[in-house]
Amino acid sequence: MSDFELEMVVNGKSIRRRAKPHLRLLDFIRDELNLTGAKEGCGAGECGTCSVFVDGKLVKSCLMPVAKAQGAKVETIEGLTPHGNELTPVQKAFHKTGASQCGYCIPGMVMAATSALRENPGAGIEEIKERLGGNICRCTGYTKIFEAVEIARDVISGKLSIAALEPDGAGKSYIGNNVRRLDAPSKVSGRLRYAGDMVMPGMLHMQVLRSPHAHALIRSIDTSEAESLPGVACVITADDVPGEDGFGVFVHDQPIMARGRVRYVGEAVAAVTADDVITAARAVSLIKVEYEPVAAVFDAEEAMQNGAPVVHDYAPDNVVKHIPIRKGDIEQGFAEADLVVEQTYDTQAVEHAYLEPEAGIAYVDHDDVVTVVSPSQNITHHRHMLAKIIDKPINKVRFIMSPVGGGFGGKEDMIYQGMLALAAMKTGAPVRLVYTREESIISTAKRHPARITYKMGLRNDGRITAVSFRMICDGGAYGLSTEGVMRKAAILSCGPYNIPNVEIDVYGIYTHNTPSGAFRTFGAMQSQFATESHMDICAEKLGLDPFEIRRINMMQDGAVTHTQQVLGSVSMGRVLDAAEKACRWDSGPVGMRGQERNDLGGEGTRPPCTLGARIRKTGDDDHQEVA
Amino acid sequence: MMGRKVRGRGMAASWYGIARTATIDRAGAWAEIDDGGTGKIVTGVTEIGEGILTLLAQVAAEEIGIKPEDITIGDNDTARSPEAAHAGATRQTYMIGNSVALACRDARAKLDRELADHWEVEVDSIEAFDGEIWSKGSNLKMSMEEAVDICKKRGVVPVGSGSFTAHGTGLDPVDGSGSPWQAYVFGTQVAEVEVDTVTGEVQVLGIWAAHDVGRAINPRGVEGQIEGGVVQGLGQALMEDYQLENGHTKTHGFAKYILPTSLDIPEINTVIIEDPDPKSPLGAKGIGEPALVPTAPAIMNAIYDAVGVRMTSLPATPEKVLAALEAKAAAGQLEAAE
Repeated sequence: MSDFELEMVVNGKSIRRRAKPHLRLLDFIRDELNLTGAKEGCGAGECGTCSVFVDGKLVKSCLMPVAKAQGAKVETIEGLTPHGNELTPVQKAFHKTGASQCGYCIPGMVMAATSALRENPGAGIEEIKERLGGNICRCTGYTKIFEAVEIARDVISGKLSIAALEPDGAGKSYIGNNVRRLDAPSKVSGRLRYAGDMVMPGMLHMQVLRSPHAHALIRSIDTSEAESLPGVACVITADDVPGEDGFGVFVHDQPIMARGRVRYVGEAVAAVTADDVITAARAVSLIKVEYEPVAAVFDAEEAMQNGAPVVHDYAPDNVVKHIPIRKGDIEQGFAEADLVVEQTYDTQAVEHAYLEPEAGIAYVDHDDVVTVVSPSQNITHHRHMLAKIIDKPINKVRFIMSPVGGGFGGKEDMIYQGMLALAAMKTGAPVRLVYTREESIISTAKRHPARITYKMGLRNDGRITAVSFRMICDGGAYGLSTEGVMRKAAILSCGPYNIPNVEIDVYGIYTHNTPSGAFRTFGAMQSQFATESHMDICAEKLGLDPFEIRRINMMQDGAVTHTQQVLGSVSMGRVLDAAEKACRWDSGPVGMRGQERNDLGGEGTRPPCTLGARIRKTGDDDHQEVA
Repeated sequence: MMGRKVRGRGMAASWYGIARTATIDRAGAWAEIDDGGTGKIVTGVTEIGEGILTLLAQVAAEEIGIKPEDITIGDNDTARSPEAAHAGATRQTYMIGNSVALACRDARAKLDRELADHWEVEVDSIEAFDGEIWSKGSNLKMSMEEAVDICKKRGVVPVGSGSFTAHGTGLDPVDGSGSPWQAYVFGTQVAEVEVDTVTGEVQVLGIWAAHDVGRAINPRGVEGQIEGGVVQGLGQALMEDYQLENGHTKTHGFAKYILPTSLDIPEINTVIIEDPDPKSPLGAKGIGEPALVPTAPAIMNAIYDAVGVRMTSLPATPEKVLAALEAKAAAGQLEAAE
């Protein structure tokens, strides 16, 4: 298709450009106009990071073909604060309340908040929440964002002094001080550039060929047709790795690209570097891979059975790691119990869903240093691993962290940086790779799904005598952080309680599922979910209040942990007291007490959401709305 | 008789270890008290959105005696900054915060030595805050800008370095005994929910979250971590579910992988408890990960309190809650028939 002439007004400036008709408005403003404040978070209109105004209306620019904006007035986050202008009240309020964390959703969130207050300057909190409903934030829990929008609304209307936007001041110390985030102005204004916003002269673009099979042998890879496509600079496969090919946080079992065998759907098989993304994608479709599908295993407990398909030869039993913890005499502990309660718990795989999909640029610098710029959570370890993989001295490998648009553990894995480094070495040019949301979801680590078998013995007075805890986690196709996750899950499994006799077994198991890895709490969320559910089940059987059963068993100063560590100061009693008091807890034995509680509703709760159609009445009162 | 929408409350406690597990952890930093009375910190810190750069600026400002906005942080570049390692394990405030404090103290000691000599006072008498430096018990006082100028004219660049260690030990391979962390935190959360017994939908209306953080260097930042953690916990409790079928992802976008949005957010009431860590200069511990540990079980316990069904499989989707309510009703009828 031929280019067409495009005219529009962007941030008050008339623009006339030739543009390719397949471009989305988002591509045009980011790639052609270099306005990178609007981000691509999902490419499907579901997250709101790409929000801009088109003729005054809030629009998700990833859903709008640029041709549709012909003749329109477009306003981006950069347009809110033309160079040298101070931040708007909305932006200042975001700065003041700490409403930006990683910042990746924030330009879109600021646009949505600005839109909300332009549409209805008197919007109440429920309407504000509704108007922000199309914008996902993964870091903040939205609470500081709501606070910011309410402050901005009141400052704009004059109800609140402009001083409400000012910093708190030094006081007597900067420790314990709500110093405003130093990086917030760059985030609320869209000025901060993440890896996917960065460009370098002569930069090439990478696209990745991924496995359609959960488990298959690779008989051959024919890259010749892809390589001969005009605009293609190189194609890389496992054959291009010069050193020891393997990465992982604990065991280095994952090759940069599949080596002879694919172990999960979405695993990288080959990568193309070309002049532009479209050429690279076209070349990816020209790579011919001959696969021989073989038996796969998708359930951790099945993978532990004899004769199950083996995921990695070095672990014929498919066990990535088993962590045992033993204390006391478990049989005696259960013998001393008046009550023994057993239950099984299941937790699911969870996606990190950081709003910034994986992205990075690699280049070889003037001193032959292979340099990778990416939002990595662990550049120290990545440098160690990459040096071995590309067979270079460690000071010839350099990792630079770009601003991280959310991580939560998901960016600890060196899942794509190796491909970028190899392509930069092969082409001599800077190479950029930006994942799509789908690519990010299917190919990167998840929270370990877990099955927990719990058995607890207690005396009639509520004291725990013994716990037997067995947890089986699906580690997926590669080791990543599984070993460490199992260790932390095991150590913390039985909670902050004095338990004289414990038997803990935690297993991380290889399967042909998407790999599991590091995710905020590193296994402790799964194991303690079981413990804290179990405490309530036992409390009900013993007629105890949930706080009471925990106080009876809680660790105190000098407690001995399940791993037999002697603790110093233990704040467990203080946090129990604080939570109980803050929520005005109505004490009583665990049971179906909702009907009779006296502590429901009131301070500290929100009204339930009863969202239906919101109808705007016209006539006497323009802003009267009926839910 | 139970109405259509029923409320209930539940609670859960939790604990967590700070910094790397069952191993030695370490982090390094360099500091320079720079021209103009500013500060330069270089460390391999990883800002992933939690606000660590602001926190380090606060620590450096306090230790050097200047303002946080006068601190410049050179951060994560393996060829330019000392190792401070990864963003994870709730370690950055503890590990890097303390290494920055030590580096700044080292730099300040050099500045103080020159200034004490210049003023002819005891080095211990020198104090600084918010851009000014003085000798206690005298009227000797100047700006940090002047102090740096004097120090440099005497031939000394006030630079320092710091390395902080956390002494975790490995676990015994047989009985798992060991001391995996030197600092622990504890937390408790209470959830109030409303369960729609017709649709199975659960709304979380309030969360009270009491967490020990050691010492809150930026209380608002601590709240932000707790609010974010609670909402991730809520997502895992009620809606998020990465589904596979024979290894193929069925939830490959946000239309299928459901995340909490602004309409799902409870009022989150944070209570910060400070039980300072005795083994580190700052006394601060951490909050990033521990914040979400008790959320899901508190919500499940609240669902039980409301409607008497025990959700043991996450997430407690409307379908699963309805199925559990139906199973409970069927069991009740059976009991009545007997």
